[in-house]
Amino acid sequence: MKNQLNLLALSASKIDRRHIQAFFLMVSLVMLVLGVGAPEDGGGNIR
Amino acid sequence: MVLLPAILAGLLAGMARARSFGRPYQLPELRFLWLVFIAFLPQFAILYLPGLRRQIPDSWSAILLSASQLILLGFAWLNRTRPGMGILFAGAALNFTIMAANRGFMPISPRTAGRLDPDLDVPPGSRFGLKDILLPPEATRFEWLADRFLPPAWFPYQVAFSAGDVLIALGVFVLLAHQDASTRNST
Repeated sequence: MKNQLNLLALSASKIDRRHIQAFFLMVSLVMLVLGVGAPEDGGGNIR
Repeated sequence: MVLLPAILAGLLAGMARARSFGRPYQLPELRFLWLVFIAFLPQFAILYLPGLRRQIPDSWSAILLSASQLILLGFAWLNRTRPGMGILFAGAALNFTIMAANRGFMPISPRTAGRLDPDLDVPPGSRFGLKDILLPPEATRFEWLADRFLPPAWFPYQVAFSAGDVLIALGVFVLLAHQDASTRNST
């Protein structure tokens, strides 16, 4: 268990700050296009 | 969901372009990203959380949707110098214009909506889907900006989209596909 936690911590430390920034940028772009776009496929119909 | 493939296509095109330049792919640098998170929050609540969506009156949903879109427009404007962002801004402005002029929602004609849901049986003026409102063309302001375009009937995925949506998809594609050639072979 301790080894697994150490492994997890080691993996987390390897995550580059730029990767986190890239992740947030991509999430932001998805939110942006979903927010300003208004296509409709009928999937979220309110009845 | 038709806009998400534009993001994926832009990413792939940008990666291919960066590869042809012999350097790593670079995402666009955007300022004020926090604005997007703040702006999208109310939309997420009123559109994507079914429990909350049913409780909030349409009038409030329209106000929150418009406010959210205004902030997103501001974000696009603040980043308008980025390649593609001007196109995206234009598309967002078109969508905002027609939605603001039609009770805060994107109009869709009963005929177009019928293609998406053949069993559709709701009166005009009812909400349809996430952001749309059923309105006959003659009762729609700026009808040419509405969700009036459809793929061919044989296409397996049917979706109605507006002229603004096309510009938004094109804008985000250009934004992600653009790689600055001036730094070619700089690494």
